[in-house]
Order: sequence, then C-alpha cells, then structure tokens
Amino acid sequence: MTTTTHDNHSAFLLSLPNIYSQSPISCCVFSRTMVSGAIALAFLPLVLTFIIRYRYYFVLFYRAVLVRMWYDCTTGLSREERAFQYVLTHAIPGDPESILETFDLWCSKVEFISNIGPKKGKIMDRMLSEHCPLTVLELGSHCGYSTVRIARALPLGARLYSVEMDAINAAIAEKIIRLAGFDDDTVELIVSPSDEVIPRLRADYGLERLDFVFMDHWKKCYRPDLQALEGSGLLGKGSVVLADNVLFPGAPNFLRHVRKSGLYEWKIHRATLEYSKGIRDGMAELVYQGIK
Amino acid sequence: AKEKERKKERDRKRRRNVARRASSARKQGNELEDRPGREERRGRKKRDKEGKGKGGEDERQEEVKNDTVAKTQKNFSNENTRKLEQKEVEVVGEEDGDTEEKRKNGRSEKGGKKEDNGRGETVEKKQKKKRVETSEEHESSEEEEDEEEKVGEEKPEVLSPEELEKLKEEVDERKKLISTLRGKPWPMRKKLLTLRESHEFVEKYEGALGKGKSRKLYAYKVMMLKKWMKFQRDFENFKTACVPWEMKIKEIESHFGSSVASYFIFLRWMYGINMILFGLTFGLVMVPEALMGRPYGSMPRKTVPRADEANAMDFAVLWDFGGYAQYSVLFYGYYNSQRAIGWLKFRMPLSYFLVGVGTVAYSYMVVIRTMARNANEDGGGDNNSFNFSWKMFTSWDYLIGNPETADNKFASITTSFKEAILEEQESRKDDNIHLTRFLRVLANFLVLCCLAGSGYLIYFVVRRSQKFALEGLESHSWWERNEVNMVMSLLGMFCPMLFDVISALENYHPRIALQWQLGRIFALFLGNLYTFIIALMDEINLKREEEEVLKLNMTIWEASLYNGTLGANSTAPPITVHPADIPRGPCWETMVGQEFVRLIVSDTMTTYITLLIGDFLRAVLVRFLNYCWCWDLEAGFPSYSEFDVSGNVLGLIFNQGMIWMGAFYAPCLPALNVLRLHVSMYLQCWAVMCCNVPQERVFKASGSNNFYMAMLLVILFLSTLPAIYTIVTIPPSFDCGPFSGKSRMFDVIQETLESDFPAWFGKVFSYASNPGLVLPFLLLMVLAIYYLQSTSKSYKQANLELKKKLQTQNEENKKKTKMAALKAAMDLEEAQKARSEAPRQQRKNNASQQSYTGEKNTVTGHLVSSFVFVYPPAPRGHRIPGPLPGNQWQPAPSVQRVPNSQRH
Repeated sequence: MTTTTHDNHSAFLLSLPNIYSQSPISCCVFSRTMVSGAIALAFLPLVLTFIIRYRYYFVLFYRAVLVRMWYDCTTGLSREERAFQYVLTHAIPGDPESILETFDLWCSKVEFISNIGPKKGKIMDRMLSEHCPLTVLELGSHCGYSTVRIARALPLGARLYSVEMDAINAAIAEKIIRLAGFDDDTVELIVSPSDEVIPRLRADYGLERLDFVFMDHWKKCYRPDLQALEGSGLLGKGSVVLADNVLFPGAPNFLRHVRKSGLYEWKIHRATLEYSKGIRDGMAELVYQGIK
Repeated sequence: AKEKERKKERDRKRRRNVARRASSARKQGNELEDRPGREERRGRKKRDKEGKGKGGEDERQEEVKNDTVAKTQKNFSNENTRKLEQKEVEVVGEEDGDTEEKRKNGRSEKGGKKEDNGRGETVEKKQKKKRVETSEEHESSEEEEDEEEKVGEEKPEVLSPEELEKLKEEVDERKKLISTLRGKPWPMRKKLLTLRESHEFVEKYEGALGKGKSRKLYAYKVMMLKKWMKFQRDFENFKTACVPWEMKIKEIESHFGSSVASYFIFLRWMYGINMILFGLTFGLVMVPEALMGRPYGSMPRKTVPRADEANAMDFAVLWDFGGYAQYSVLFYGYYNSQRAIGWLKFRMPLSYFLVGVGTVAYSYMVVIRTMARNANEDGGGDNNSFNFSWKMFTSWDYLIGNPETADNKFASITTSFKEAILEEQESRKDDNIHLTRFLRVLANFLVLCCLAGSGYLIYFVVRRSQKFALEGLESHSWWERNEVNMVMSLLGMFCPMLFDVISALENYHPRIALQWQLGRIFALFLGNLYTFIIALMDEINLKREEEEVLKLNMTIWEASLYNGTLGANSTAPPITVHPADIPRGPCWETMVGQEFVRLIVSDTMTTYITLLIGDFLRAVLVRFLNYCWCWDLEAGFPSYSEFDVSGNVLGLIFNQGMIWMGAFYAPCLPALNVLRLHVSMYLQCWAVMCCNVPQERVFKASGSNNFYMAMLLVILFLSTLPAIYTIVTIPPSFDCGPFSGKSRMFDVIQETLESDFPAWFGKVFSYASNPGLVLPFLLLMVLAIYYLQSTSKSYKQANLELKKKLQTQNEENKKKTKMAALKAAMDLEEAQKARSEAPRQQRKNNASQQSYTGEKNTVTGHLVSSFVFVYPPAPRGHRIPGPLPGNQWQPAPSVQRVPNSQRH
C-alpha cells in the first residue's frame, strides 16, 4: 500500500515539478493523490476479477488482433498469405489430412484465424458422413480450410460450391484447394458476395436442390442468406443447414428467425471457440422440414 | 410447521398417485354416484369438462381419503342410478357404453398411457361378460342383477341369509386379494386386471350387505364424512394461502431451484422475527411513550434546540434523521426517566430495558430452536435410493388443471432433475485428488491474501480518517471525508466477485462452494462491521468528554441565570426558561442510534439501486440492444445476471446484526427493518423472475438451511457483545433517555425490585443471584447439556446404522430375487431344450430305456421347479420402495445449460 502511494506520489512529482516546489499547494496535492490511491486500490479486486473471468477473451484479443497487426507490419503480407506460405512449406501436397493438420498447427501455435477448427470440424464430418450430401453450398470459404474439410468427406460424384466475397482470400483458397488435390469437378469456387450468388444459383449453376449448406461468413448475413435460400426454393425436405459461430461472435437474429419460422428442426451443438479453450461457442444444425 | 405441511402435502400426493393407479374403477362408480338426477348429472359433466381443476381435484381427493369400507352403500345405490339413467337416456347399446364414455372423460388428463388402458378395459369388460365365472356366488348374483334389470328399479333386492353370508365371504376374499396383490408373482398386466376386477366386485356387492334403515344412516354418515373431508381440505388450502408469499416462492423455486428459494424462505423467516421484534418495541415502548409520556416541547430532551429550529423540518435534515426526527420517539434520547407514566402507571424505563433485553433473548431462543429443529430434520444418511425412478414416475401431479401451474410444475420437475443429476455426478466424481487439494489450498491462500489486503486497507483508511478528524473535517474534501465509507462499500462489493472467481479453482460441489463463499464474505463483512463499531466507540468517548465539559458549564449557566434575574428579592416566581434554550448534553445514545439508522437506510438504498441498475437495467439493455449488436449479448459477454445467493443472504444477516445492535438506542429500527424486508421481498421476487437467469449448475439446498442459521447465530452473538458492553460499562447520559440520572442502565432493575416488589422478593432475588447458588446451577446445566448431546449423538448413530441395515437388506433381497429369477429362467430353458431333445433321444437310444426314464423324471422336476419359482414375491422392507425399472438409469454425462436465448 505504502509503496503504491509512494509511486503515485513520485509520478505526480515528475509530471508537476514546478507546482511541487511551492510548499502549501504541494501539501494539498500530496494528500489528494493519497486519497485517490486508497480508493483506487479498492477497485483492484474488480480489475482482478475481470482479468481472471475474461482471460480467454483477452488472450483471443491478443492473438487475433495484436499479433496480427505486429506480423502485418513486420512481414508486409496479409494474414492469409502468411498462413498459405506456412502450409505450402510444411504440408504434404495432395494430402488434405496433412493440410488440415498444418492449418490447425499454425492457427493454434502461431496466429489465429477463425476456421472451423478440429473439434467442431469433427462434428461436421460426422454430419456429412451421416447425410452423404450430393450438392453442398459453402458460404465463406476464407482460406479454404473448411472447403478442404468438406470436400474430403464428400461421397463420389458430389459437388461443392464455395462462395467467397474477397478476391484475395479466394485466390488463396483456390491454391489451398488445388494443393489438397481437389479439382474443378468437385469444388467450384464462386468469387462474389453471398447475397448476390444465392438468387442466381438455380439459373447460373443449374442447381435444383441443396443437400447441405455450411455458413461461416459474416454473422450478420446468416439470416438474410437463410431467408434467400428459403425463397429460392433450393432447400428441400431434409436439407441440412449448418451455421458456425452462432454463439460467439453470435448470430442472434439468425437463431430467432430459425426458432420462429417453424420451418426447421434445429439443435445447437455446443463446443468451444476454435483454437481456444474457454470461450463457449456453438454450431446450429437445422434440418429443413418445409411448410407443414 | 411449513416443513411439516409440505411433507404432508407430498405424502398426500404420493398416496393419491398410488391410490389413483389402484382404483381407477372405483372412481367412476363414485363419479356416477354423485349424480342422482339427469339434469344435475349434465351440469356436473359440463363442469368436469370445462375445468378439471378444482372440482375434479376435490372429487378425487375425496375418493382417496374414503376407505373402501365407506363405500358399501353408495355403490349399491350407484348401481341403481346407473340403471335409471339407462332407462331415461334409452341407450340401446351395451351396458357399459355410457360409463365408458365418462370414464374416458375423467381420465383424459391422465395422459395417453391411461387412455390405452381404458381401451384395453373395454375389451376386458366384454370378455368378462362372456366369460363363465368360476365361483357360483358370482354367477348367481349376476343373474340376480339381470333379473333386476328386467323387473325395474324400484324394487329393492332381497337376499337370503345364506347368500348374504356367501357374498360376504366373497367380498372379504376379494379384499384380501387386493391387499396382498402387490406381492403376487404375476405379470403387471394380470395384476392390474385382477385389481380392477376385484375393486369393482367389492364396490358392487359391499353395498348389498347393508340393510334398510342402517343403510340410510350409513349414507348419511358417509355424506357427513365427505363434507368433513372437504372442509378439512379447504381449511388446509386456506392455511396454505395464509402463509405469506408461498406462491411466489414456489414459483421461484420451480424456475430457479431450491438454492434461490432458500434465500427467499430465509427472508420470510427473518420477516417474521422482525415482525415480533417490531411488535415488542412498538407496543411496549414507542406507543406508551407517545400516548402517555410528556408531550413534545415539555422538556429540553423533547424539544429541538433553538439553534436547529430553523431547519429542523428540512428534508435533508430529516433524511439524515436529525431535527424533528431526532427529538421524537424514534430515538433513545426522547424518553423520559420518570418512573411511571400515565394513569396506567406504566413503568417506562423498566419496560424500555426489558424490551431491549427481551428482543435479544427472543432472537437467541428462536434461532437456536430453529437450528435444533432443522438438525432433527436432517437425520443423516441418504434416503434417496431409487431417486431417479421416483422422480421419473411420480413427479407429475395429475391434478393440475391450470396451464400456468402446469408450466411451473414442468419447470420444477426439470429443475429437480437437474439437481439430482448434479448430485449424482458429484458423488461419482473422482479426479486427481492431489491436484484438487493443491488447488484448494492455493485458493484459500489467495483468499486469505485478499482478506488481509482489504483488512489492511480499511485499517489504513480508518487511521487516516482519525487523523483528518483531529485536524478538523472542514479543511478536507468530500472524498477524504467519505473515504472510509467509500472504501468499505467498494471492497464489500468487489471482493465477493474476486472470491467467486477464485472459488472456481476449488472444484467443489456448488452447495459446499456456496458455504465457502458465504464464510469468506462473512469474514470480509465482519471486518467492515467491527471497523464501524470501533469508530463508533471512539465517537462515544469523544461525546462523553464533551458531556463532562458541558456538565461543568451547565452549573455555571444556571448560576448566572439565577444571579442575573434574581437579585435581592428571593420570593420572586421561579424563572421559566423555554426548554429549547436550555443547554443540553450531546447524548451519545441518540448519536449511536442515528448512526445505525443511517447505515441501515444507506444500505437499503444501495441494495435497491444495485438491483435496479445491475439487474434490471442490464437485462433491459441486453434484451433490446441485442437486436442491433454485433455479437450475441444474451449468450455472450454481458448476458443476464444470475441471482447472487451468498451476497444476498449475507446482506440480510448483517443487516439483522445491525438491527440487534442498534435497536436498543433507536426503537424505530425494527420498524424500518420490517419495511425494508417487506419491500425487498416484492422487489427481489420481481427482479428474480424478470431479469435473472437460473444458475448454470442448479443445485439442491434445503429450504431450512442450518448454515444460514449458524451464521445468524454468530452474528447475533457478535452484535450483542458491543451492545451489552455499552450497556454495562458506559454510564448513560445525564439529561436524556429513560435511564438519565442513574449511574448504570441496569440499575433500573434494582430500583424496581426495591420499590415495586415486597421486601422478601428482593431478599430471595439477592439469594438467588448469590454466586454460590448460580455457579452450581450453571455447572448442572452444562452437565445436562453434555449428557443430552451425547445421548442424541448415539441415537443418531443408531438411526444411521438401522438405515444402512435396511438398505443392505433391500439390496440383498433384490439380488436374491434376481438370482432366483435367473435360475428359474435357466431351468426353463434347460427344460425346453431337454423336451425338444427328448423325442430325438427316444428315437436314437431305444436301447437305454432305463436312463431315459430317469432323465424324464428330472425333466419334469425341472419343469415343476421352474413353474414354482418364476417370479418369487419380492419381500419389502419398511419404507423402502420396490425395485423400480428406472433404477438402472445412468445420468447423462453433462448438464447442459438451457440456452439463455430460449427464454424468449
């Protein structure tokens, strides 16, 4: 206690040397700093509580924002490019398994990219193997991690349409996909915002029905895109929509819509955020039931 | 009484459930019986259909409570009415058509399962009609019945004595069958069928045994019995309705679990105690003084001093309990030391003293008595074998007719399941014990550090404030003057949060975690309380010094007054000085009372404001900002708040401690506290239901928590210490309060003994208070306590052992039954195998005739044994439920939290 107040005092002394030299005022200033010290110390438990309780969020902030800014400045490359470089140098080309593992390694050890991650990825793998979808739509391929993950689990003859808005990310995703050994017949990458793509899917790509839709793009677009999908008539009875990150960062509007529309049988798979232990997150699994 | 009532209710429910299952047939008979006329029947039916709540409930309960014997007569007449109805309605179909419909009607609330039964029943009934009865009596009676139907209703049936005898025997037999049915080694289906048939039979023919006049008397008796039952039940309902806030608490319990409810039950209990304290102080101190004491303005102690008169009515002054509030019955200083007041000769000072002592004594008594009762209820050991089966099969209350109640019940069942699953999980948890121990020690160390740090901070601040006080408060800023309060309230607010975070390390069962948390916050608050008391003591000493100075000045003032006006003439009328002008002492007692009242008021305000801001505002923001926010506020970071049981309980307990400490110097404190508790009951109930979410891990806590009581007892003790200290050691102020002029406050007792009681009484009292008599008495009491405690301990142990024994016995029986069943099944299999192999063997081994016959013998032996031992009756221990199928059920590995967003 005494040391802290002393520190306060000395800091004050440094900043206001000329005032301190005048004795009556300095006495007053001295006591005022002491007061704030005692009351400020009473706030220490609060600060500690916040730090301990939200430590995962702080870590996430550090890894996803600070480290990224630091590397952006030092390397001059974007985060996705760095990830691609790492994968290129460390993974075995043509082996999706190895590419995914390398990605996971990079994301958990070096930097943070919000891929679907290994744990939630397993849930998705299981669902894919259960449903055996033939036409899959992915919204938001980002670096291509989830695209590779889905393509790996698809049955023969199935086709995956992956939508990415950002051209640079799409280029990297393309490279990753090709590196994993999937050709144009299996995976088709569409570089365009999702709200433009969905209405054109039937006309431009000749789709009749989507068996599986995976959403991992902007959380705000979840609901409009879902509504667009409903409107386009591409969802048939039994089509599965899987939406990642519905709890953190969270898509409350989407969940509300799902709950209220009555078109779906839905459940939330609870898990933690990818590459992080303490932040709770969930994936929403919707099975389209159609209008009863 | 509450507990008892609840238990009774539970029992009743269970009984009802069992009985309902057992007597579905009986019920219909009764329902029918109640409707003699057609119109009335219609009305009744309609009512049944409309609201199955109250009416249906009544009816069914009645049925349950009536024993079978009580039904004899009714059922007979019931038979008749049914026939009447048939005639009137002219139903051409089968006899049961009408009844069938009604049966379904009555049972529709029991869910689909029962309906299935109903359908099965119709089939059975038809079969029964066709079936040829084995017993002769039955047949004859059926024939009789048929005859009757032909003849008509009016003619009463006539039975010969032999027939009656036979019928009686048959009825007795059936009754016996019903009572022993549970132990019969039959499949469930058969049991149910038999039960139903026998019940019907008994109902039908028991009535026939009565005769003419006695029958009528009997009917009258039964009616009265029913009325009496109904009255009793209504009375019970009334009693439940009289328990304040029972419904609110039940609702909260069903949604938030018993731990949150335990707080509210505690709050209600506290309210009751405070009501009595309030009654004592109000009725015996405040009202007599206000009515019979000298009026305001008659004496200096009852008048606002001249200097304060100008702003004595300002709100700011009144809010600070100064001005007119200070010079009123609310505070100690207003009371006069007159021995007896009014025409009643009410002994005011004595009453004041006795009420002060009596409130504390009463509180001790109540707390200790409640603790003892709770300890009795705990019992020790677990009686929750087959816990999940019980919950699974018996938790739904089929009498619920109100959708809201049904929702509540649903929530409460879910919560109770969660609680039970948590208990089970905790009991099976076996982690790395060393790591856990280390973490627990570490957590305690951290908490101790935190406590020491905050203690030092408070000490430091208090010392500094004393320094400021010596220097004079005017030269310091507002922050400096209020530093102690600020630091104390900030620490009191934030440290529990830190403890909560630290306690996550320990990995305790939430109930135990709550106790630890309570203990830690208790230590923290205690520090705060005692700093407050020490500061008060300093203040008291200051005031007393002031008083000494004033006493001296007083004599000078008086002398100057006389000298100035009197002059030479000594026969002048006595000088009258307005009481407001007379100088007076500082009256430390009133000061103490004021401090406590202010503390209580500010504490209450803080509580309510934190409630409104921390809970309500947060909930509103979370709810409505969620429409336009970038992450999910409800599920994510701010979320809704949980109800903080530990903080609230401790707030309540410390608040009560303040009341006990301050009530002697401010008689208004209990009244204030009653007001506060009343408001906070409503406010918190509303806040909990409106803006809190249930805890992540809902755990079970008993409604009457002894841990709370123990803390309350400690606080009671700690808060009476300073009060008693001040009463015994510090002389009262010379010019205010009921004890002014005495050297000690308790002198009032002696005074009363001397002047109001006969001399011998004083003598006896002085003998009785002789240490030579008191010490042996105390010794005797200690010995008695020791003896009683040890005996109760041994009883408890014996109880526990008996319980254990019962349990093991039960398990053994279960095992035996299983073994026997297994053996029987094996034997049966063997026998079948042998039988199928036998012809083959016969064909093959014609030569070995001898051995074949031997084998055949054994085969038949096996068969016989298997038939005998297929389902041996399961013996039952006292109070232990039979092995229900749900027993093997394993709890799910994780309790998932209901997503917050689902509440909307």
